[in-house]
Amino acid sequence: MNFQDYEAVDFACDESFQRYCLEEDDAAILFWEDWISQYPGKKAVIQEARHMVELLSAKQGNRLEQLRHLKDGIAQYDLLQHALVAAPENETISLRRVLPYAAILAGIVLLATTAYLFYQKQLPHSADRMLISAGNELRKTVVLPDGSSIILRKNSTVELAAGFNQVNRDLTLTGEAFFDVTHDAQHPFMVHTALVDIKVLGTVFNVSAYTGNGQMETALFKGKVEVAWKAMPERKITLQPNQKLIINAATVQAPTAAGAQTYKVMPLDADPVDHKAKEIAWVRNRLEIENEPLVEIAAKLEKWYGIPVTFADDEVKNYRYSGTFESETIMKALDALQLSYPFSFRMVNGVIIISK
Amino acid sequence: MSYEEDNCIHWERLRSGDKQAFFALYNNTYAHLLRFGLKICGNDELVKDCITQLFLQLWSKQQTLRPVSNVQAYLFTALKRHLIDQLTYQSKIHAAVNRMTDEASERELSYEEIIIQVQQDEELKQRLHRAMKALTPRQTELIRLKFFEGLTYEQIAAQTSQSMKTAYNTVYDAIKTLRRLLK
Repeated sequence: MNFQDYEAVDFACDESFQRYCLEEDDAAILFWEDWISQYPGKKAVIQEARHMVELLSAKQGNRLEQLRHLKDGIAQYDLLQHALVAAPENETISLRRVLPYAAILAGIVLLATTAYLFYQKQLPHSADRMLISAGNELRKTVVLPDGSSIILRKNSTVELAAGFNQVNRDLTLTGEAFFDVTHDAQHPFMVHTALVDIKVLGTVFNVSAYTGNGQMETALFKGKVEVAWKAMPERKITLQPNQKLIINAATVQAPTAAGAQTYKVMPLDADPVDHKAKEIAWVRNRLEIENEPLVEIAAKLEKWYGIPVTFADDEVKNYRYSGTFESETIMKALDALQLSYPFSFRMVNGVIIISK
Repeated sequence: MSYEEDNCIHWERLRSGDKQAFFALYNNTYAHLLRFGLKICGNDELVKDCITQLFLQLWSKQQTLRPVSNVQAYLFTALKRHLIDQLTYQSKIHAAVNRMTDEASERELSYEEIIIQVQQDEELKQRLHRAMKALTPRQTELIRLKFFEGLTYEQIAAQTSQSMKTAYNTVYDAIKTLRRLLK
């Protein structure tokens, strides 16, 4: 019998097809991926067959996906080991304490984005405050004096307040960072951003405060954080796990107009493939794109690589792509994208221009 | 070389810091650990996360790992401990924890329970439950051996004393029935 004549049941009963679905052997994976790309007309039938295999195997597939997570975790672990060697001044740190990987996998993230406009707050002037910046590194891992660790994203900065770990645990963030906070009930960990103050009660979270972004976003996976508006200290929101808070920053400028300040609490954006929230993808060292229009991808690439991206044609903005990028250059990423559906791009004066 | 012999070799290499052996051990034992975990709790995401955590932990303490006589048994025990920790932590699954820690009433989940529990869509759970009821016990058993335990038709035929053709046909008819009822 020819595969082209196969119905869903025939595929589901085929042992090679089953090994492909369960990612059991590479030969079967290669064969079926190739076959499916040759016969796009069989897509619906294949999908149904895959669904049956997934149901009956109790979702045993995706070993490769899981393997990727493990490799990410190991890479992060090695990175941190490296960072620890590079930070010998932190004598009090115990290794156990700064291992954020289990926590990362448990998925505890807090994300906050703040408009640059609001980042005009005067920082406290003190000889003791300490500035840590990631500069042009994609990610920089830092261990704080209290044993908490931070992974700073490119172009991001944290400033520790004077007396950090002695009289307070306050810091100010510009950009984005992933925190693993050591529990200390006596000294709550405070993250200040231009718009809000975030009080943390010992957990792991991610804060982002980007320049030029019209909204601020705070997303929490586990643990507890309290977000307080700077302009209206009486307004506080305690986030539950798997929720994110989005504030439209443009409306914050007129806080006196009651109710004008729009904010909403939403569930986190879980990835349909691996069920990890998209908010944490950057920590896992890759850029993930799931069937998104090029205009949104461009905005992500701009943020990811720190280079402006503009369009010469409107038509290409709506092309949709999916893909995953790991520590590649933006040129390679764009090259890869245009393989599946062509467009062209060029770099002019430090700006990338995308056209038909 | 046998499955366990492979594991022993990977284990010894892992102890000397061989990353390749580490991933080989992972790939070799992944399906076994997953099935073992699913029988303890029907939550595939939790089991997968715990397996990843277990291996991250192995890697982080590779230098202090001791030789073990049965690698799979060691990994099973460790995975079970991770799962219990997680379930206790989540505390919403008290019943499951009690079931696992109370040796007397320890019970594996049945195949039907597992495939239904890992689904998240309530309606699909109901339909799957109804569809599975329509199968004969023999069909259910063969579906389990084929899709859950991952046996080949040849192995199923040998184990159930029938021809490969009969085994295939039984599975085929079962899938056909399920497909019709799940539509």
